[in-house]
Amino acid sequence: MTFPRLRVSVACLSALLVVVASTVPIDAQRGRGGAAGPAVSPRQAAPIDLTGYWVSPVIEDWKYRMVIPNKGVFGGIPLNAEGQKVGNAWDPAADEKAGEQCRAFGAAGIMRLPGRLHITWQDDTTLKVETDTGTQTRLFAFRPTSAAGVPAGEPTWQGQSQAQWNVPGRSLKVVTTNLKPGYLRRNGAPHSARAVVTEYWELHTLPNKDEWLTVTTRVEDPQYLSRPYLTSSDFKKLPTPAGWTPTPCSTK
Amino acid sequence: MKKTGSGAIALLFVTLVAATLNVRTSAQGGGGRPPDIAGEWRLDQGEDPGQPALADYLGLAFNEAGRLRADTTPESIWGTPEYQCRPHSAPHQWRGVGGTRILKELDPISREIVGYRLQFMRSLDRPIYVDNRPHPPAYAPHSWSGFSTAEWEGQTLKVTTTHLKDGFLKRGGPQTSDMLTMTEYITRHDDIMTIVQVVDDPIYLDEPYVLSITYSYDPNAGPATENCSGSAFAENGGTDRHHVPHFLPGQNSGIGEFLKTENWIPLEAARGGVKTIYPEYRAVLAGTSTLAGITVPVSRTANDVARRIADQSPRDGQVHVLPVQGNIFMLVADGTNITASVGRDGIAIVNSGPAAMSDKVLAALSELAKAAVTPPMPNTCFGANCPSAFGSPAWSSPYFNALVTAPRTPPGMRYVINTSAAPEHVGANDKLAAAAVFRRAGGAGGFGGATRDLGTTATIVASEGVLAAMSTPPNKAKPAPTAAWPSETFFDEFHKLSEYVNGEPVILYRASAANTDADSFVFFRHSEVISAGNLLSTVSYPVIDTERGGTIQGVIDGLNHILDLAVAEYRAQGGTWIVPGRGRLCDTADVASYRNMLVMIRDRIRDLKKKGMTLDQVRAARPTLDFDGRYGSTTGTWTTDMFLSAVYKTL
Repeated sequence: MTFPRLRVSVACLSALLVVVASTVPIDAQRGRGGAAGPAVSPRQAAPIDLTGYWVSPVIEDWKYRMVIPNKGVFGGIPLNAEGQKVGNAWDPAADEKAGEQCRAFGAAGIMRLPGRLHITWQDDTTLKVETDTGTQTRLFAFRPTSAAGVPAGEPTWQGQSQAQWNVPGRSLKVVTTNLKPGYLRRNGAPHSARAVVTEYWELHTLPNKDEWLTVTTRVEDPQYLSRPYLTSSDFKKLPTPAGWTPTPCSTK
Repeated sequence: MKKTGSGAIALLFVTLVAATLNVRTSAQGGGGRPPDIAGEWRLDQGEDPGQPALADYLGLAFNEAGRLRADTTPESIWGTPEYQCRPHSAPHQWRGVGGTRILKELDPISREIVGYRLQFMRSLDRPIYVDNRPHPPAYAPHSWSGFSTAEWEGQTLKVTTTHLKDGFLKRGGPQTSDMLTMTEYITRHDDIMTIVQVVDDPIYLDEPYVLSITYSYDPNAGPATENCSGSAFAENGGTDRHHVPHFLPGQNSGIGEFLKTENWIPLEAARGGVKTIYPEYRAVLAGTSTLAGITVPVSRTANDVARRIADQSPRDGQVHVLPVQGNIFMLVADGTNITASVGRDGIAIVNSGPAAMSDKVLAALSELAKAAVTPPMPNTCFGANCPSAFGSPAWSSPYFNALVTAPRTPPGMRYVINTSAAPEHVGANDKLAAAAVFRRAGGAGGFGGATRDLGTTATIVASEGVLAAMSTPPNKAKPAPTAAWPSETFFDEFHKLSEYVNGEPVILYRASAANTDADSFVFFRHSEVISAGNLLSTVSYPVIDTERGGTIQGVIDGLNHILDLAVAEYRAQGGTWIVPGRGRLCDTADVASYRNMLVMIRDRIRDLKKKGMTLDQVRAARPTLDFDGRYGSTTGTWTTDMFLSAVYKTL
């Protein structure tokens, strides 16, 4: 039994749905207030300006971030038994030897490391976040990565990041997947390739007029974590690139 | 027909999808509606887990004063009677274990949100007003949670908090002054709530302390309630209720103790300091530079502490009135505090203020007195419920209407009480005493003074030492006018006024050899208000006139006596109010804080003196370093150096 006319309607409906679905994010990405008008690029639609140089004062978790804690010190990270086991097997020399000294510098951990960020627009739909620590580059795509011509491909330290503005919320949501297994902390607290990193980026102008960026990070990893690992990392905007010191990844 | 029908179905479906998407957009705050932050929130402690170790100052931009204060303040300070129920101070609340509950306060008519109420495990409920009300004046009291107002910036609730008591930044020693301001940015992201907290306390920090904390929405969570019961004094194993636990500088053996187990942390970093928190410090860790050799992008403070301290005691030539409790008001007269009991019996004031302010003080008191005898509300009186001129029976509402428009003459001055002979306390004695309606014979008290002419002034009450200082001042100084002299004096350790005033007993207590040899404080026993005179100031170290018998120990003893009489209402705040000689209205915890400071300074100077140090050597050791930013001064009539010298001299 066939329903040819219904099939046509479903096709029309699908097309309409695609149109509606694809315009909604664009509407949501319009400038402040989302006024009607021609579609604008994510860069133009940005409700906040994240570009510039930022430094991370290390105020919390100092002993886990500024220095490398001893093996097995995983306080705050909800590692499950398997995660603990893998973490306790941490061997930095082996990582160096294997050319995997960037394990702690991936998207799931890089924002916790002391250093500076340099944020620019790579193009109208891609925000680029560079770190001097580990000399890493993260790319936030504001369109489906497949549409951007980025194949799923091999996992990388920084994975693939899908970004979306929350215009009324004046924040940015970034979801990163396709990560290489790496570390949440420099002493080998592991995350697996199944980790999903969700971030919320927000700006605040403090009473002293300093501009601060706060990145709230939720790491979900069914392999090594018993529950999501939540952190929030703060960065202060700098007027100049002074202090920007790219350094390679290191296990020391 | 069918074609039209399927098209209609498609349109309907598209409309539904669009509507659904719109709903979703609205739920995310479309149209600028703020998100709902109310509910139960769980803290998983993914950051800085557990209790910090003693003397763990990692990540703190301590200045020298902050470090010294933390080093010398042990956790056992919680065992003192005044602090045994102290809740977490506001800067630590978000980090305290137990989660948080956020409640919305709604206007019952408009149903607009007028405020939020925050609950944490070890805290008092913390109100946050979003109804555009102003912050109180600087001379209003401070509390553990402070006074918070908020506004929405996009979908972030920006909260500004002032009027905080001194407390702690986090456990393990780091303290905060009561001059800190706190700004919080509360943002909800899906089921996560991020709080960015900015603590600006330049007394102890070289730059604002910025910390973010993340909570998860969890309807099954919510803060537990921590009761405060039992005697912390006994738990503390002590036998002296006035004991103030503290370390002398350099004698805190706990410093560095935690590094025995967390041995990957360098001691230098554990001591805190703004240079240790920036990435530049990695060069020091790597041994390629030194702490002195690095520069970091330090932030400046937005907190003008000097101005905010001065605002607690405004020298603006005006009289500011603050209701305290019951019949009692605090008048700030060009920076000097006057305590006033105003009621149907008349007016009793503690200290008269500077002479130049007498007219304005009288005008302010007159307004308060009018309010005391004027029915507080418009005429709502009908028939037999209405009062008569002197009580029942009622005379019905026409009479009452007349009464409302023609209240009795406001009562005049009845007592002027002096806590000392300081010019700002007795300067307007004669003028204010002359404003008496309830008059007494000057200098003649008791029935023996019965006469047709009851005199022309209110009774001026003070210790005998005040009379001596005013009538025969030292160094051949000119005596005060006789009309300003106390007419009722006492030698004893305390003195009760011979009658109730405005429905309550009023008792004067001597504070021997305190600021001078003639100080006292006054207790309004029903209103639960103590007028502390110069024993207490929130804007300076206590003035100690050693030429007139003042001593540091006398001031401490006087403060301890106040603490013995005062009772906190709940969780170490409120209850008995204490009006200082200068500065903001205080409660027991504030007095304890001031007393603790003086004990710490006394013990430090005594220790240095015992070691044979001269006054100059003691000065060089800077024993008041951690309190100078709050109470010290290099100019004016009472400098830090004068205070330090007075303490040294009287130990």
